[in-house]
Amino acid sequence: MTFIRQYLNAILRSRKLLVQTLLLCFALMIYTPFLMIALRSVGRGWFGRRWLPPELTLDWYRWAVEVTNIVEITKNTLLIAVLAVLISTAIAIPTGWALGRKNIPGKELLMSILLLPRMIPPIAFALGVAQIFYRTDLINTHIGVALAHVSVCAPYAILVLSATFEALDERVLEAAGVCGANPLRSFVHVVFPLILPGVLASMIFTFTTSYNEFTLTLMTYGKDTVTLPVRTYLAIGEGYWEVTSAMSILLVIPSIIVLFMIQRQVAPEKLVGGFKGV
Amino acid sequence: MKRGTKFRSTLITLLLLSPGLLTFFLLFFYPMMVTLTRSLRPEGEKIGWTIEHYVTFLSESRAWEVIILTFVLSIGATLCSILLSIPLGLALRQKLRAHRFYRLTMITPRVVPGLIGALGLLLLFGSRGWVNLFLIRFVPFIHEPVSINYTIPGLILFYTWLYFPFIALTTLAALEGLDPAIEEAADVAGANRWQVLRHVVIPLIMPAILAGSVLTFMASFGAFSIPLIAGGNHRPLSVEIYRQIDFTPARWSAASARAMIMAVLQVVFLTIYMRILRRPIT
Repeated sequence: MTFIRQYLNAILRSRKLLVQTLLLCFALMIYTPFLMIALRSVGRGWFGRRWLPPELTLDWYRWAVEVTNIVEITKNTLLIAVLAVLISTAIAIPTGWALGRKNIPGKELLMSILLLPRMIPPIAFALGVAQIFYRTDLINTHIGVALAHVSVCAPYAILVLSATFEALDERVLEAAGVCGANPLRSFVHVVFPLILPGVLASMIFTFTTSYNEFTLTLMTYGKDTVTLPVRTYLAIGEGYWEVTSAMSILLVIPSIIVLFMIQRQVAPEKLVGGFKGV
Repeated sequence: MKRGTKFRSTLITLLLLSPGLLTFFLLFFYPMMVTLTRSLRPEGEKIGWTIEHYVTFLSESRAWEVIILTFVLSIGATLCSILLSIPLGLALRQKLRAHRFYRLTMITPRVVPGLIGALGLLLLFGSRGWVNLFLIRFVPFIHEPVSINYTIPGLILFYTWLYFPFIALTTLAALEGLDPAIEEAADVAGANRWQVLRHVVIPLIMPAILAGSVLTFMASFGAFSIPLIAGGNHRPLSVEIYRQIDFTPARWSAASARAMIMAVLQVVFLTIYMRILRRPIT
């Protein structure tokens, strides 16, 4: 025991080096899978025990664009994501306002009820959603898939926006009133600029959620509403790993670019949250 | 008069809340009820009540294997994530060079679709992947590829890769919110670094770790995309549900019964877990 303790102390003393190595290993662990996909997507004849593909090619990308009709799929994905963002934001602004600024008895309970869809496994209510959509002919429509996404996007938007509205200082609004602004003017010139970052953050997060959503899409898609994650899944099933890799690269690059673009504005750590008080 | 204004403001609040509540009821509560009713109907029929789907599923011995597997995977992934998050949080709070980059790295698995992550991990850990090449080349006594994909430890590894950011973020936030004076006090009192960590820092950040672990547990309990493509013969509940409706004839009632069991299990487990969390942790 003492030996172990001494050993640990020795390690802790040479901390700087240890920390750097640890972080490097960690970054490797996260990024090598993507590197593997990237290599697989440009390699040809990569069999056996080799570190790198022997031959480079862009054929798989050509295949991905031509055979799997990636342009159409990207259009579907983006359209569905935009619809989901618009609907969720439209729902979340009033509800978030009420939750953030009004005195509601049992607010905590109400909030946890609204956040339930993010706690129950999506597959459980996706079954119900699919059955309802089959009955109402919403299967295989963009609006239907978007609505399915709203069930998980909206609670998240409500959470982010109610926090934004709660942080709004009452005195600023009063000051605007004292200075003679009518409610409309005070909204346009005072409230709107203050809540804009929060609204944008919530929109970006709902967009990412919808863009990556797989379970609910799989239950509600049809041949006209194939999205990128579903297509990737189908391609993996078909066994063309190279083409799948090429598609994945085309699918992942936008997400990563967005992440690096927004990181200064919206504290992307929030992307992972989505549960209050837990 | 006063009563009137109060009534009006309540009405406005209700009106403001209504879109959210409506979404909740139409897109969550109603589907859950449909799933519940479907699970109690005979297969493919619109009338009649039966609990046969629950009985058949739960009386199979495989059902318990599936349920235990689901718990093993999610609890295993949660434990691994905790073990990964503590050193990571300790390293990242020092604001070293490129710590912004590492922070972004930390959330990357949550920003890309889980399917892509699973695909990359399958390629990396496959029998021809870099990990096996590395093991064969540099580790003595390993001459054959180690099978990682499609095994339970492999799945736990994949789950950890995908779901650790929840714990890592809460842990890091708690570590950064810690008052440096506390650690200095322990240091002055003669504790060495290990003792400070073991007796001061870890107990203080424990609530945050546990809060994050709830999130990781929930996410990995409901995980669907990873076990679907990387599970092989190991099928947790979510995949088991999907398999009921994947083939024709789709067995919606059987799938719904399993989905209800899954939801109930998760709620029960979380309730117990939260109860334990409430208790002060010594």
